[in-house]
Parts: sequence; structure tokens; C-alpha cells
Amino acid sequence: MSDKADVWQGTLALMVLRTLEIMGPLHGYGIARRIEQTSDNLLSVNYGTIYPALLKLEQEGYVASEWGLSDNKRRAKYYKLTRAGRKQLARETREWGQATAIVARFLSPKEQSS
Amino acid sequence: MRKLRAWFLRLGGLFGKERHDRELSDELESHIQMHIDDNLRRGMSPAEARRDALIKLGGLESTKESCRDRRGVPVLETLLQDVGYGLRMLRKNPGVTAVAVITLALGIGANTAIFSLLDSVLLRFLPVEKPEQLVQVTRQGPEAGSQGVPIFTNPIWEQVRDQQDVFSGVLALDQQRFDLTQGGEAHYANGLWVSGDFFRTLGVRPAAGRLITVADDRRGCSGVAVLGYSFWQDHFGGVANAVGSTISLDNHTYPIIGVAAPGFYGVEVGTKFDVALPICATALFDGARPRLDYRSWWWLRILGRVKPGTNPAQLRARLELISPGVFAATVPPNWDVKSQKNYLKWSLGTAPASTGINGGRQQAEGLLRILMAAVGMVLLIACANIASLMLARAATRRREMAVRRAVGASRLRLIRQLLTECLLLSAAGALLGILFARWGTMLLLQLVSTAHEQVFLDLSLDWRILGFTAAIAVITGLLFGVLPAFRSTRVSLTAAMKGSLAVDPERHAHFRPGRWIVASQVALSLVLLVGAGLFLRSFVKLVTLDLGFDRENVLMMHTEARTAGIQPEKWMTTWDEIERRLASLPGVLAVSRSEVTPISGGEWDEFVHADSPNPPTGNASDVYLNAVTPGYFRTLRIAFLSGRDFNLHDTATSPKIAVINETMARKFYPSLNPLGRFFRLEEDQGKLGEPIQIVGVVRDSKYGSLREEDYSCAYFPTSQAPGFGGGPNFLIRTSVRPSAVLSLIQSTVAGVNKSISLQFDTLARQVDDSLVQERVLAALSGFFAALALLLAMIGLYGAISYMVTLRQTELGVRMALGAAPGSILRLVLRDVVAILAAGVAVGTGIAFLTVQVLQNLLFGLAARDTLTMLLAAGVLSLVAFIAGYLPARRAAKVNPMVALRYE
Repeated sequence: MSDKADVWQGTLALMVLRTLEIMGPLHGYGIARRIEQTSDNLLSVNYGTIYPALLKLEQEGYVASEWGLSDNKRRAKYYKLTRAGRKQLARETREWGQATAIVARFLSPKEQSS
Repeated sequence: MRKLRAWFLRLGGLFGKERHDRELSDELESHIQMHIDDNLRRGMSPAEARRDALIKLGGLESTKESCRDRRGVPVLETLLQDVGYGLRMLRKNPGVTAVAVITLALGIGANTAIFSLLDSVLLRFLPVEKPEQLVQVTRQGPEAGSQGVPIFTNPIWEQVRDQQDVFSGVLALDQQRFDLTQGGEAHYANGLWVSGDFFRTLGVRPAAGRLITVADDRRGCSGVAVLGYSFWQDHFGGVANAVGSTISLDNHTYPIIGVAAPGFYGVEVGTKFDVALPICATALFDGARPRLDYRSWWWLRILGRVKPGTNPAQLRARLELISPGVFAATVPPNWDVKSQKNYLKWSLGTAPASTGINGGRQQAEGLLRILMAAVGMVLLIACANIASLMLARAATRRREMAVRRAVGASRLRLIRQLLTECLLLSAAGALLGILFARWGTMLLLQLVSTAHEQVFLDLSLDWRILGFTAAIAVITGLLFGVLPAFRSTRVSLTAAMKGSLAVDPERHAHFRPGRWIVASQVALSLVLLVGAGLFLRSFVKLVTLDLGFDRENVLMMHTEARTAGIQPEKWMTTWDEIERRLASLPGVLAVSRSEVTPISGGEWDEFVHADSPNPPTGNASDVYLNAVTPGYFRTLRIAFLSGRDFNLHDTATSPKIAVINETMARKFYPSLNPLGRFFRLEEDQGKLGEPIQIVGVVRDSKYGSLREEDYSCAYFPTSQAPGFGGGPNFLIRTSVRPSAVLSLIQSTVAGVNKSISLQFDTLARQVDDSLVQERVLAALSGFFAALALLLAMIGLYGAISYMVTLRQTELGVRMALGAAPGSILRLVLRDVVAILAAGVAVGTGIAFLTVQVLQNLLFGLAARDTLTMLLAAGVLSLVAFIAGYLPARRAAKVNPMVALRYE
């Protein structure tokens, strides 16, 4: 669990929460596929990394899980957003927006920054 | 909060592991199945679909592992793993483990025992409310740097009590023994005279009834008694109606008004009070001249509780302010003018008393510090043993370490693992050690207690003792664990994995630290042996000392006239009658009485003016005195050098006579015949008493302590020593064991007067009891030195055995090439001698530099006593040589074929 992984996990957690907000209850495989598709396959990650992230979110109480049946009638563990998760998503979205805005201002063309 | 919740769940994750693992497996399985389904739909072949799904996941096992890390607390988990693994390893070698744990338990136990004594004697606060506010009041002379004296007269105490304004409460106390019986053999209780405010000031609560208050401590009181809790339990069965009943003390009866709270033993460390009485009740004991009014009867100690917010400077200033008034009002009228003038210059001071008051504390402190150093060394030696054990075992585990390194364990992880094992060992040793310590301290208290002086110490475990033991355990574990852990994890993978012992070049070098460890053990045990040798030899010197009297088969019987209510004019006739009747008993060889018994601690001395030319003056003319009945010298078998014993014709009205000892004859009458000469005693204010004629000279005999030498002594007939006789000591020489005639003696005394109570002892025991400190030191230092020697020898034996095992192939080859067993023996013994020589040299050096601190405790020999050092080194070398010889002989007997085939 290096610092680098933590940063990645932070953003990954945000993506997971957002995915669950849009899609409703979903299993780990579905979440991983959805993140991959949403990023137009630019973000190619090991699907496996989704599971420690989900575990962490569950421990923090932002998501809850229960076993259910998939579209193909396969048993799968479904994750859904909790109330605390929704609040956390709103907060993180806002913070993310601010952070990107700041970074964007730094990276914007020179004549505007002077 | 969220973080906390997550941590909580993660800690919880340490449990129910299997269920979580299964669920994770199921989840990942369903993940892969769904992925495969999708892949198949996209037209992949089943094998390809599965492969792709696994690749995308990024490895099934590593995903599981990262989830596991996330679920539990990795550090804690590895710790639990280490502990579990460590316990398994220790269980696998039960013999090694048992030896290590017991060795550690002895070492740690000894340290805990001595420390808990130190704790209770020096560090522990009194069991009272806010003990840190307590101070003891002292008095000081005007001379700069003079020591404060903590003893006061009652008139001074009353002045201090009424005039002070810096204490929120102030109290006075004294201790006295009371006879509980009314006739027959005496049984004593530890009494405490207390001022009215004693219990309130200390904040002690009653366990039953009520405690003594100011109202109980008024002049002319009839006296009330408060019991100590354990006395109430032991003598009254702890029943509530003990309060309201009465107790008889020295034939006076007092109502019991209450019981003090459990755990309160008084304010003097090392003692425990049984019954407390108000100070005013001393008048009932003292008769016509009560100590309450005596201005030169120094008996009370004063404690005060400082008002919160008063700083030491204010305290000192206020006490100095009231001092002139206090001393001016209490000048002893019978003192000479010069002494009185000096008296008025005294001032009051204070000393801390939060941990209680104790006259013998400094002595105990010195003793305990020496013992603490001794047990510290024993523990070091024990550590060294276990370190060698660990080193030896580490060598046998090199393959295991290599394998674990090879499959990816980091060296740090392995070191952590090994240290965990060591700490487990020392923790087990500490737990067992606390048990040993409990026994040890009980035993020690028995050792230092005598029939007359039961030592009581509050030895309950407190945080300080537990903390000390825990710290010792951790330090010990690290001490013996670090070196082996680092060494055994420094493995050359290839060599170790080949499994060959011989081809590893590091192999032999590997045990070099082992030699150093053993040599240092030898050095430390030599230091302990020298110390023990010194104490033992000085104890033997004391025990076999020529006392000048025969201590065997002498029964001592003490009685007090006041307890039996005998009037002074009847004293002499009563005692003479008893003496006469006892002398005719079968089994009794001689009977006499004396004011002071030998080695009792009692003392009577005066300055003597002799009629010889240039007699000693000043302090040199101080002579010990005793009053004895005819037959005293015969009873104690003190030989006459010239002149005669006292007899029945020496009465109160006949000319005053004395028998003197050899030293007095030599000092006061050099080259003169003292017989027939006269001397006088210097009485109050330089006045001389009437002339006393010397009628006999006896051999020197010990008077107050075994350590004294060269003192003068004069004996007077009891009949001519007025003012004495209220508490005679009968000395009865028996032809059989004194205990055999005890009951006969008791009934004989009862035949004269039933209400006389008697206290028995033997002269031999009285002499023994004066050597408590010497005996304890000799016994304990001997025990610790023996323990150290044993441990060091086990260490040496183990180290040499191990070196022999390591060199088995080499020795086999040598023998195959024709080396004689004798030369092999010499080869190995050379190692033994080298280790021994280094250890003895260093040990002698350390001993030489440190033993000087023991000088004050020794008798009749210098601390740097050559003979003792030689003896210690000799004993050590002999035993060590045997310990080294056994494995060496085994090496010489090795069959070369077996040794070589081993490869």
C-alpha cells in the first residue's frame, strides 16, 4: 500500500461511488467494466484492484453489499450506495472539481496567467 | 469517525478469517464466470475466454492477498503469526525451552524479589491520605551542618502542637512492646503511643468502631485501645464485638474502641502496630514520675501534614520562628548550665516522611543495593547462557533461515520473528519469576526477622514492581536475542542450501561470539564469588569468634516487676528467692542475674576515675558497666584471672566492690596489680561517686556486639547497684537443652509468684540474632554466587560441547591421520583454558576495582583480601575446568569413521 496506490485508490473510490450512483446496485465485475467503458478504454486497469477499493468503502460505510442474481442468473455480490456514500460522493465531487480547477489554472496558456 | 470504524472492522477482521476468505473466493469466482460469459458471447473460445478473464483480473491470488491486507491489520497479523510460530518452535524443543524459561525465571525472579524489597523499604508511600504532604519534625543544634535529630520530649511535643501554624495537622508517636498475658510466659504485642490527632491527621479510617481522637488524649485519661486490622483478625477472629471488649497490656486493662483500616501498619517501615493507645495513658505505666512531664526523656517522634500551598522556605521560616519559644519553655532543669545554654540554641527543622520513618532504613538501603547488584549480575549471566543457547540453535536453523530467505522473506522479517521468540521466552520467564519472587521475598523476611523483631513489609505487587519486571523481561529478551538473531539471519544462501556443514567457511567463525559470552560469564561469576567469599569468611570469623563466654546451653529469662505489681522493697528478696529455687532444679548447673545480658544491645556506661598514675581521661575513660549476682561468671564460664567472685557477704551496706575485665586492668592499671585498688564513677555534672574497690579481674568477653574490641568493663554486685532490679535477667546454665527444663522453670517461678510473666530466650540465639545482617548477606551472596557459578558452568559446558560438535569432522580427520586421543584432548582443552584465563583475568580486575564498597560490611578482613580472591579464582577454575573437560574427553573418544561418515 504505497502512497501512489493510495492516490489511485482515492480516485478509484470516487469512480466506484459515481458508477454506483448512476447504475444503481451493481457487482464488482460490472463496476470494473463500466469504469473501463466510461473512460473509453483509456483507463485500462486490472479488474482485481476494484475489490480492495470496494472493501475499503464498505468498511467506511459508504457502500453496502448483498448477494443477488445477475442478468445471466449467476450468483454475484451486489454493491449499492449508502446515504453516507451519497454524501461522500457529493463532497468528493466538489473537492475534485476544485482541485482540477486549480490544476487547470496552473496548466493554462501563459498569457492568461500573467 | 469513519476511519475509526474502518479500523475497528479491520481489527475485527482478524477473526472469522475463514468465512471472509470463502466469501471472497466466491465473489471472485462469480466475477470470472461473468467475464467468461461475456467473452464467450464475443466469440472467444472457452480456453481463451478464461485466460483473458484471469489476465484482466490481474491474478486471482494477488487480488485475494491485497483484499486480505485491507481486511486485517498486517502488522498485527504478522505479529500474531510470529507469536504463533514462536510458540510452535518453543514447543518443538521442550527441553531447551524449559531450561531457558527456568534460568530466566530464576534471574528475573531474584531481581523482582530484591526490587520489591527496595520498593517497599525506600520507594513506597505510606498507606495514608496524601502521604506526599507528610514531613517529620527534627531538631538541630546551632553548629553548621549538624544532623537533625528526630526524637523529642513530651513537653516539647506539647509546645510544638500548640504553637505551630504551618501544619494542617501534627502528630506524635512512640513504639513500645506490651505483654498480653497476665503471668506465665509472656506474649508481646507491638504497641504504639499516639497523640490524639494521629489518625485524623493521617486520614486513616476505622474498619470497626471509632479511632482515637483528641478527646481521648487528655492528661489524666484512663486510656483506650485501637487495634491494628491484622491483629484484630488474628487475635479476635475479626469479630465485631471485639470492639467494646477489653485488652490487657502489661497487666493494665483497656477498653477496645475500634479497629484501624486494613493495610495501615503505622508510619514506620519494617514494623506493624498491633494496638495503639493515647500518649496520655503512659502515666498509668510510669507511676510517680511520668514521662509526660520529664524534660529529658526523649521518646516521641513528631510528624506534620504541611498545609497545601506552603513552600519549604515558608515551612522552615515558620518553624524557626517558634523554635526559641518552644525550647525556652522546656529546658531540662537537671542539666548543667552549659548544656542548658546549648539547649536554648536548638531549632526545629523537617525531613521528608512521605515514605514513612525508619531508623534502620539507611542500613537496609546499603544492603539492598549490594544485593541488587548481585542479582543484576546473575541475570546477566543467565542472559549470556540463553544467548549462547540461541546462537547454538541458530546454527541448526541456518537451513530453515536460508530457505525462508530464498522464498522471499526479508531479513528484517526473520529478525523480527527470532526476536519475538526471545521475547516470548523472557515473558514466560518473567511470569514464573514473579512467582519465584513472591517466595523469595517471604523467605527473605523470615531470614531478617528475629524472635524479638518481626520485620513487616508491605510487599503487595504494585505498578512499580510490575513495570520493573516487565522492563527487565523486555531488556533481557533483547539482550540475549539481538546477537543471535542478527547472526543467524546472515546466511550465505548457497552454502546453507547445500546442506553441508563442512564446506561453509563461515561455520567455525560463527561461534566466535560464543567464546566471548562464556568468558564474560566466567568474569561475572568470579566477581560474585569473590563477594560471597568475603561475606562468608567474615561471617565465619564472627561466628567462630572467641566471645569470652560460653553461649551454649544458657537460658535467659526476663521479667518485669511492674507487670506483676511487685513493690520495689520486695524486688531483691523475690528475685533472690526465685534464683535460689531455680538453682536446686535438676538439669540446672548455675543461675545468676544480670542487668545487661551479653550482645543484647542494652548498654550502661560511665566515665571512670582510677587511682593509678596517669589514668585515661575523657572518652578513653569510658567503661561498660553491668550489675550481676554471685555466680554470673561461673554461669557464663568467664574465667577469673585473679581475685574473687562476689558472694552473699557483699551486701548493700558492705564496702563497694567491683570485678573488672582484662582490658580495663591493662588500660587503667598498666604494670600494676589492680586488686585492692579503687576507682570512682563520674556522676552528673562531673561529681564523683564513692570509691569502689577492685576485688577480681576476669577475661574479656563481648558486651554489646561481636564487632567491638578492646573495651573496658566493670561488674558490680546487684546488691550494691541501687536503682536497678525492676527488670532482671536470669541466666540459667543447664546440663541439657534449655527447652527441656522450660516448663519446670515456669512452674517454679509460679510457685514464688503467679502473676510474674516471663520472657524466654537462649543466649546462643541472642548472639545469632545480632548477626542477622551478616547471616543474610552471607547466605544470599553465597546463594547467588552458587547460582552464577552453576549458570556459567552450564554455559561453558554447552559452548565447548558445541564447538566440539562443529569440529567433529576436523577432529575425525586428525585422528584418521594418526593424532593420539591425548593430543585431541589437549587441542580442545586449549580452548577451555583460553576462555577461562580471559574470564578470570577480567573478573579479578573487576573484583579488585569494586570490592572496596563492601569494606564496611566486613569483619576481620580487608575487602581486597588476597586469600579470598585466590580461593574464588581457584574454585571457579576447578569447576570450570571440569565443565570443559567433559565435552573435551568426548571429543577425544570420537570414532574417526563415524565422524567422517557424518559428511
